[in-house]
Amino acid sequence: MAVTGASSRVETARARASRDVRPSRYRVRTRLGSFGVFGAPALALYACFVLLPVAVTVYHSLTNHNPYHPPTQWVGLRNYRLLAADADFHKVLTNTVLITAIVTVAANALGLAVAVLLDRRGWLYNTLRGVFFTPVVLSSVVVSVIWQAILTDDGLLNSALRQLGVDHPPGWLSDPDVALYTLAWIIVWQMLGFCVVVFLAGLQGVPQELHEAAAIDGAGPVQRFRRVAWPLLAPALTINTVMLLISGFKVYDQVQVITNGGPGNGTTSTIAFEVIQTGLVGNRIGYASAVATVMLVVVAVVSTAALRLLQRREVTA
Amino acid sequence: MSRRHPHWLRAIVAVFVTAVFFLPLYLVLVNVFKSGDTIVMDPAGLPVPPTLDNIRQVLTRPDHLFWYGLVNSVEVTAVSVTILTVLSAMCGHYVARNTGLGPRIMMIIMLAGLMIPPAVILTPITDVLRATGLMTSVAGLVLVNVGYYVPFGVFVFAGFVKTIPIEIEEAAALDGASQLRVFWQCVFPLLRPASASVMIFLGVWVWNDFLNPLIILGPAEGTTVTVGIYRAIGEHQQDFGAVFALMFLATLPILLLYLVFQKHFVKGLTGGASKG
Amino acid sequence: MDRRGFLALGGAGLAAALSGCTAGGKQGSSSASGTELTFLTFETPNLDAAYWDAAIARASAKVAGVTIKKLVAPTVERTGYVKQLDASGQLPDIMIAVNPNGFAQAGKFVAWTDEDLAAFVSPHSNPIDGKIYQLPYNTQPTPLVYYNKVAFASAGITTPPQTYAQLLDACAKLKAKGINPFVVGGGGKDTWADMYPLIACVATDVYKSKPTWLADRAAGKTTFSDPLFVKAVGKVADLAKAGYIDPAGLSRSYADTEQAFRDRKGAMYPMGSWFAASADAKKLDFEVGVFAWPADDGSVVVPAYTGGGMSVSTKAPNVDLAKKWALAFMLDQANLDGSVKADGSIIAIKGYQPPADMGPVYKATVAAYQQAVGANGVVNAFSVEGGDGSLLPGLADKAAIGVQDLITGKKDAAQYTAFLDAEWAKAKQ
Repeated sequence: MAVTGASSRVETARARASRDVRPSRYRVRTRLGSFGVFGAPALALYACFVLLPVAVTVYHSLTNHNPYHPPTQWVGLRNYRLLAADADFHKVLTNTVLITAIVTVAANALGLAVAVLLDRRGWLYNTLRGVFFTPVVLSSVVVSVIWQAILTDDGLLNSALRQLGVDHPPGWLSDPDVALYTLAWIIVWQMLGFCVVVFLAGLQGVPQELHEAAAIDGAGPVQRFRRVAWPLLAPALTINTVMLLISGFKVYDQVQVITNGGPGNGTTSTIAFEVIQTGLVGNRIGYASAVATVMLVVVAVVSTAALRLLQRREVTA
Repeated sequence: MSRRHPHWLRAIVAVFVTAVFFLPLYLVLVNVFKSGDTIVMDPAGLPVPPTLDNIRQVLTRPDHLFWYGLVNSVEVTAVSVTILTVLSAMCGHYVARNTGLGPRIMMIIMLAGLMIPPAVILTPITDVLRATGLMTSVAGLVLVNVGYYVPFGVFVFAGFVKTIPIEIEEAAALDGASQLRVFWQCVFPLLRPASASVMIFLGVWVWNDFLNPLIILGPAEGTTVTVGIYRAIGEHQQDFGAVFALMFLATLPILLLYLVFQKHFVKGLTGGASKG
Repeated sequence: MDRRGFLALGGAGLAAALSGCTAGGKQGSSSASGTELTFLTFETPNLDAAYWDAAIARASAKVAGVTIKKLVAPTVERTGYVKQLDASGQLPDIMIAVNPNGFAQAGKFVAWTDEDLAAFVSPHSNPIDGKIYQLPYNTQPTPLVYYNKVAFASAGITTPPQTYAQLLDACAKLKAKGINPFVVGGGGKDTWADMYPLIACVATDVYKSKPTWLADRAAGKTTFSDPLFVKAVGKVADLAKAGYIDPAGLSRSYADTEQAFRDRKGAMYPMGSWFAASADAKKLDFEVGVFAWPADDGSVVVPAYTGGGMSVSTKAPNVDLAKKWALAFMLDQANLDGSVKADGSIIAIKGYQPPADMGPVYKATVAAYQQAVGANGVVNAFSVEGGDGSLLPGLADKAAIGVQDLITGKKDAAQYTAFLDAEWAKAKQ
């Protein structure tokens, strides 16, 4: 939807006019006939492999399903009542929202800063852009293994800090008050390149004439950025935010490899991690399904709200 | 502000910032070409002289872990991404050109699916596959990939289609061409930037997927390069040279995909926004 | 990419997909005829692919009409993987070292008969409803305390501590010398590695006097807030509080933890007997000794787990053949020797003698274990035990994550035991 909003706004006036004024036979025909050919195949597969499994999950959340503890019984909303009273679940929910918030804000902010820095043409800047993008194509397990080697208490970072004279460098992964932020940083590092590339596309799409016009008006670089580039970056911001929300809420691999939810109970555990732990390790599919269902609702609400907000800015900008 | 002559100060700052960002990747790169002892003693130093032992070791494993994984990964990724690109381009076109309530609701429902971690719905997915006899087959895994990732493709294509003037299609349709022909001959070629971004992102996601191939292809068939990385991590816990070499080799193909498509793909994501 | 290139790429891939072939899938099943059975293993630095292939070949040579297809678990966490395979209808026919709890009650594993178990030293360890579902082929003392003799000498400690008071005294002396007393791990995905001090304290303070304590807990006759259990937990909390357990361990994976002990980051390393194999295979640059975690009164107590062998699925195409092959694998002298060398196993099969060339740390480990056997001091290892009255699924992970809180000081003994009781209640919901 972000892209929909992004592009509809930039749509050429000509195309818009043609659509509004001229009722076309072709369009009438597609609306009546083409769902079966164009829309249905994708929707059918999505229904089979996402909607149906999600429905099964929601159904399980209303039972006490445990594959190693038959029989499965209908328990109504009992799992949800237990969830509401479960302090561990509240912690996990907070962690997930916090990680997602940090990742969304930090990756956008840093991404924009780097994009502005790299907003020049030529082989040098192309290469640097490529370097920033590389972590995006790495599997998050690979990224996790790399960062773990760097961040353990006797890892490369703290060894370097000790050589610089820091006696007690932070326990990036061993200090329960720090680990969550370390984890968020690792995700920011991995997603940063995506934001940089998308912001760069936005920046390089700003017509040169606008910059020049603003310069003639006597605007300094900062003012020029705020008045000319920033409003036109709205679509890029929308795309980045949607991607970051998706990757923030889904976080599982990094937790599993780097902290296993610790150090200490619930310190870095996320919703996806909790679902797998409860369902796969604890065999409590019913309860885990309730956690997953709550997650779906939270995600749906947050992303809809974010989209609305961002797209409104795109329209008014 | 001159765009053609990079200011030297900006260049230095840019290189410095990128270098800091690059450090973790540097650590992988240099250690691929170092022996185990050197890695432990001097993890950050340059590989002088470089050794290809780690790479050779991965490529010549007696159980062919890397090569089998590579073939499977390429096969699954190529087929999934091809079908995904075609289906989501068509569906995206449908959503973009039909502004009724139905397509809009369809889009919202599909987008919600993007935020579901696949592990959460894996068991019901395998139930569906078993019911249709598609379990432990490449076709089954491909269909699951298509079903799960198609929303992203539709999302990107729908945005892009809207930037293409509808007159082209109208003209062709009035000439009597069928819907599919109009789409395939007139519209799809214009969607190249969007196709590039869809192929890169879905290629990365399918390539890096770990759990789905392992369970859906089955434990005997499901060795992909990403599964290989997991196994290498377990088997060579302390031998970073071997693990990093496998990571390096497993990432190369997908990095190449990015390099091939990079010119187009950003435009595909930002739609008309980057055209100015 | 133009349309033609795109089509060519897709077409080639599609053809491959429709032919349904995957590379490596048919490996090892082509030659011999007979029943094909799947066998799930796992790989570690010591038990690598070549080790398993050779072991499988030796067992297959003894059982006619079997073709084994080797499956490899993607991580050492095998039980979760087997659950996923089971949930998708792909339970392997034969599995090694998979916790049978859950699978057995659901009728998915075959029970071994007394006849099958005739050759085993403890044929009734960790029973589930009185039956055995995993061949009890080896015993792992979990933990013993491995220590750096050079560090002990430099702190003026001449003999290994024999009472808990002496252990605390040794810790104080080491600390005064600037030597960190204990290396305890538990970072990354290996949270379980932080459990060893607690397992040892529960053994000396709870299980020694009440061997069935956990079964009583499972039956609801007691809770973790039992003063006996709280005292055991309190020992770990106090060690951490006194600075005897380095919290840096919470960032170290299992492999990093062993490396930390090798790198002299601490004088004592409470770990399972498998460390002996590693210490003998790759020498440390100091001499390693071993002692049993001391009890208050100086009695010798060693927590241990006996099991670790094969389980067979009730859905195997030929259950009898699968059992026969699994037993042939377990009882093969060369396979047992390999397991001893690679994993430091203390084999629990009648008449078995380990190879004569075993290293000094392994020999010292066996001696420490035999001393406990002689003193009737072998007890269950808390959180590791299987079978009736063991921890509910998921509780072992909770116990380990809670120990992290003990080490960082976020929980005291009372809070920890209350936490375990709360998690127990949740797991039963």
